[in-house]
Amino acid sequence: MQPEIEREVVRMSKSGDPRSYEPLVRAYEGPGFRLAVGMLGSMDEARDALQDAFIKAWQSLHSFDITRPFGPWFFQILRNQCRDVIRSRQSRERHEVRDEQIDVLPAGASSDPRRLHERSEASLILWKSLNTLGDEHREILVLKELQGFRYSEIANILEIPEGTVASRLYHARAALREALVATDAEYP
Amino acid sequence: MPAPPSVKHWLQRTRSTRDRHGYSEGESIVTNNVSHENLMRYLDGEASPEERALIDAAVASSTELQRELVLFRSMKNDLHAMSFGLANDQSVWGAVHRRITRRLGWIMLIAGFAISGVYGSYLYFSSAIGAWEKLATAAIGLGILFLFGTVIYERRKEWRTDPYRNVYR
Repeated sequence: MQPEIEREVVRMSKSGDPRSYEPLVRAYEGPGFRLAVGMLGSMDEARDALQDAFIKAWQSLHSFDITRPFGPWFFQILRNQCRDVIRSRQSRERHEVRDEQIDVLPAGASSDPRRLHERSEASLILWKSLNTLGDEHREILVLKELQGFRYSEIANILEIPEGTVASRLYHARAALREALVATDAEYP
Repeated sequence: MPAPPSVKHWLQRTRSTRDRHGYSEGESIVTNNVSHENLMRYLDGEASPEERALIDAAVASSTELQRELVLFRSMKNDLHAMSFGLANDQSVWGAVHRRITRRLGWIMLIAGFAISGVYGSYLYFSSAIGAWEKLATAAIGLGILFLFGTVIYERRKEWRTDPYRNVYR
């Protein structure tokens, strides 16, 4: 969505018209879902967290600065929502084994079936390893790799300096590398 | 660039070269004069042209850096290629809209009820009807309101403590 159009849609939503909120939800539900699935590792929980985040954003729109872009602000709300879900999950059931099957097939489908199979296997190993990482590491990898945000955007969402983004990314990638070793699978 | 190493072999190699501080070449803060932060910026396309040139030169002269870069790049590409699409029929807008408008509906209902109640009461009590009749009607009205309020309070309390409230039956 173009910034001017987005600003206008946000302004109309701020005035309390629920219908004008629809374009914002439609524009951000896809990337938001990717972020939530990456952080929570569960499709169902991700959908619930996404819904709750949109409701919270709607209820807080009055305090939103219209000159700022909606995306980073919304992703901040969604990230906090996901953290709440993780916290309540941890207090409810410690180390629950999540056996939900998630389709992690690589998006850029190769025409070579053997190559496609190899990449699918690699993606699955990577996905399982990602889910064993701590919240801080998984969060930054999801923002960078699944969402494709730039460092400045990540810094904005996580409210940390850009230098910290680079350093945290290194540690997250190193942790993922260690987690891959723990799976005992050959990667890449 | 060399062929991507298996992560297991890569780690075995770096672990076997730990120095006396416990750091290996691949785990130290700086690898071949390239800090981890700069390496990440380079990998993610965030480095300036000058930084890129410096890191390019460092990478060209270090197989260790090349291996690290190939491995990180492979993880990056595989993660980036993962797709968890939200199909059109899975849009959350319907649920979000219902929840937004339901709240709005409750606010309007309560506000409308309160205004009509206050205005109706004013008209009724300022009319010429006898005092006993007014008192009895007020008692009935307040009794209904009180019962209604307690039922809502109980239901809400029950809902808040229900562990299955998010489970759709």
